[in-house]
Amino acid sequence: MVPISLTKIFEKYPDRRYIMFGGKGGLGKTTFSAATAYYLAKQGKRVLVFSVDPQASLSDIFQKDIFGKGPTEIMPNLYAQEIDADQRVKEYQQEIRQKILDMYGMDKIPEEIESYIQAAAAEPAMEESAIFDEVVDIVVKGGFDYYIYDLVPLGHALYYLSMASVYDEWIGKITGLRQQMREYDQVAAVMRHEKDAEEDAILNELLYIKERINKSSGILTDKERTAFFFVVTAEEMVINDTLKAAGLFAKFDVPLSGYIVNRVLPEELKKQQIPEYLKNRLTMQDHYLKVIDDTFKNEILAYVPEMERDVTGLRMIEKLAERMFD
Amino acid sequence: MSDDEKKKSGFFQAVKEFVYGVAAHDSARFALKTRASMEHLFILITMGDMLGVPILPPYYSLRLLPYVVPQISTWKRRMLREKDLTDSLA
Repeated sequence: MVPISLTKIFEKYPDRRYIMFGGKGGLGKTTFSAATAYYLAKQGKRVLVFSVDPQASLSDIFQKDIFGKGPTEIMPNLYAQEIDADQRVKEYQQEIRQKILDMYGMDKIPEEIESYIQAAAAEPAMEESAIFDEVVDIVVKGGFDYYIYDLVPLGHALYYLSMASVYDEWIGKITGLRQQMREYDQVAAVMRHEKDAEEDAILNELLYIKERINKSSGILTDKERTAFFFVVTAEEMVINDTLKAAGLFAKFDVPLSGYIVNRVLPEELKKQQIPEYLKNRLTMQDHYLKVIDDTFKNEILAYVPEMERDVTGLRMIEKLAERMFD
Repeated sequence: MSDDEKKKSGFFQAVKEFVYGVAAHDSARFALKTRASMEHLFILITMGDMLGVPILPPYYSLRLLPYVVPQISTWKRRMLREKDLTDSLA
């Protein structure tokens, strides 16, 4: 089956400026993110590709250490960023400490409070939340035509999504309680003929958090501005997992834009003298490519061949981009 | 302000306070008490992990921490103290 080309998709939907690749670990999400960024940058668009994975590998693929350095120029129009979650959490803790010191004119954080700050930072969800928060910063700041999310493997991405909706719900509830508290404040103030109750700083803080979370999950589920691609390979487990994940993503209203088949062994090999081992791989691949065809039908956007070497450095990224966007 | 006027306003002030005391003081006290209970509930929800009850994701509870610093110790005392019959009379 001839796929609808990926190029056409980008031409047809120029408003989809948030590009994401999802899939099981090790299938080529980072590679495709980099290649897409390269392609778009060559078209004259300003592109930022950034990693939300604590074990990011953009540094490896661009052969440049960009970890925790903010948006770094790779070539004209192409910027890459790897978020240093650890550093972010540390700065955040310090910010909170400073705020407490300033608010109460203390010169030292009370022990109880300090131990809470440290314990909170050790929570496993902290790192994800910090990355989540930084992503909001990146997106809110603007300045690029395209944002390419180099996503975490499926399980994490789902966690990331569900986190947004759970947070949203929670914050909504707490904000409700806080608003109710404020009403009591006002009642008491009126009865005692005081002027208006003081402004509630906590309520404002909660509304701020709510707005940030909405911003981030809003992008993930925006059909007009977001394109989410799944990466698959011709293997049974990968196909099954992808189907399962696609179902879950649909539940969270993530707009799926199509599937890209990676690591396809070249057909021409069959005509050559090849060992039994490779012959078997090719037969297996034919079978699963057919399964993929039957399963995802006209949502397949590209078949990308297994390259002759691993994709690192701009030369190889360019080569791959040519195969993706032919 | 003349002496006469001063007397007058002092009188009105006294009436005002008297009316407040008779009619509204209890309600105002009740509103404030409810408000205080809610404050403790609120801190439990946001800072629950201090007592080992994690509810709000810690990243966001840290954001709220500075505002509740003064309440933390009374809140902990209230949450952790034993309750007895006389509590319901208060």
